[in-house]
Amino acid sequence: MTEHILPILPAHELGLVIAVLIGFGFGFVLERAGFGRAPKLAAQFYGNDMTVFKVMFSAIVTAMLGLVLASTLGLTSFEVVADHAASATFLVPMVAGGFLLGAGFIMSGYCPGTSFVAMASGKLDGLYTVLGVIVGQVAWAELEWRPAFAKFHNAGSLGNYYLWELFHLPAQAGPVIVALAVTAMAVGCFLGAEKLEKVLAGRSDPAAQATPAGRPGRLVFAGFGAVVLVGFAGLAVPSGSQAGTREVASIGQVDLARRVFDEPWKLRVIDVRSLEACAAKRIPGSECVPAARLGTLGLADTEPSRDIVLVAAEDLSEIPAPAAAYPGRVYALQGGWKGWEAFALSAPTPPAPGAPVAELDQYKLRAGIRAAMTGMKAAPPPPAPTAAPSGPRKVGGGCSG
Amino acid sequence: MERNPNKFWNPYLAGVALGIVLLASFLVMGNGLGASGASLRAGIAALDLVAPGHVAGTPPLARAAESGHVSWLVFEILGVLLGGFVAAYTSGRLKKEVLKGPRIGTGARVALALAGGVLMGIAAKMTRGCTSGQALSGGALLSVGSWAFMFSVFGGGYALAWFLRREWR
Repeated sequence: MTEHILPILPAHELGLVIAVLIGFGFGFVLERAGFGRAPKLAAQFYGNDMTVFKVMFSAIVTAMLGLVLASTLGLTSFEVVADHAASATFLVPMVAGGFLLGAGFIMSGYCPGTSFVAMASGKLDGLYTVLGVIVGQVAWAELEWRPAFAKFHNAGSLGNYYLWELFHLPAQAGPVIVALAVTAMAVGCFLGAEKLEKVLAGRSDPAAQATPAGRPGRLVFAGFGAVVLVGFAGLAVPSGSQAGTREVASIGQVDLARRVFDEPWKLRVIDVRSLEACAAKRIPGSECVPAARLGTLGLADTEPSRDIVLVAAEDLSEIPAPAAAYPGRVYALQGGWKGWEAFALSAPTPPAPGAPVAELDQYKLRAGIRAAMTGMKAAPPPPAPTAAPSGPRKVGGGCSG
Repeated sequence: MERNPNKFWNPYLAGVALGIVLLASFLVMGNGLGASGASLRAGIAALDLVAPGHVAGTPPLARAAESGHVSWLVFEILGVLLGGFVAAYTSGRLKKEVLKGPRIGTGARVALALAGGVLMGIAAKMTRGCTSGQALSGGALLSVGSWAFMFSVFGGGYALAWFLRREWR
């Protein structure tokens, strides 16, 4: 992680105190929105009270825009928070589970979160929903890892996968563009929801109360709309930073080692040290392309399907321009080759007897990495590109430079 | 403060308020909001009472039992219960009752609540998070899985709504 000041990531105990405060806000707002009452939640599915949709979508837009703003100001990085907070995508169980959860929602009148609020406000149906959720979770936990179910439970695995990657947008501007598009879509949907409520009012249930936008709602629409206009105007102004240097995102040694083992096909490790140094020793699977020759790879026109990791002799102060032009993610290895050598190729000191579990695990991991990395027979380096072609050149998905 | 059980916040303002809570969670904790992690931990505690040692032998349960993030969610849900209680009390909605439509009996309503809960529990474990963690938090982070999940939830709800109209209408 680069040196952003956010997220704060407080120590565990302090984090638990903050958890109660954040939870309090969460529960309070849910109750005040009417989410502690099953009939109001269920009304979403009968068309004449779209509160659930309105609250959820405006919450999503608010948090998303806030995060985009914080990233633009350099306080944090959208991608870093997303990688930290979002779960990996498993498309098959997520779609199937979504339908199942929707079915459970209309039966119980709650979702798992709102059932807690209902329980806290004395609703017995909320209490029974909570009990049901507990039983269901334990039941699936008993099954999910067994061979007959594991295949389904892990099907459609795409890792951390985001909408801007789905639409092949550049990593830098992608979250902003998608966030603005989602906001524009939200305003359109809100206006549509207002219209739909008016049309359906009193049709299926004379007692149902709609939740008109009113003046506060129109203010929210106007605010979201203004953000979209200002944001797209800002994006349209050429920033000049596109082609120049870009902030150095670094990847730690542990993270790199994990990824080299777990998903090497999503990674392109480029060793930018001199050819001799790289030929002698390097990270398994890495390409030897000295920094001066990076331009010959034509990275700017390459499909951003893999994350690039640059390995220099030491820490990189900036990502070289040819690599920075790559539309996907580019990381610099923390500490460069020196750091890697010290981490992965030297024996870790065993922890003292009675050391805490965390330290033992750390040791096991490091010893494992070292064993695997030093035991791996280094293949001869791929031939370096002989002549620099005049224009940028398309590079296929292969491993040779 | 005037107590009016039939008065709710403007949905858009409530949404913005909820978004600010979620944003605070992102920026301070680096995590989104969640709910199903806490109920899973409750299930683990109950299971430990009935069958000691069983949790350790079931990898998904053992993992959740030791996860620091799940502990965080337990405390967050304690806050939710507290916040929900205070909000219900101050709005005059704190009352022991069963909420249901006019055409269904209490027994049937409670049975449906329990059954729906079981389905949602299975689903939430399957999808690595429920409407709070997956749809709300993951949606704001633009995760592909979260958006697919969100559309499916609405799809599932609308698909069954007609069959369950007697419960609510």
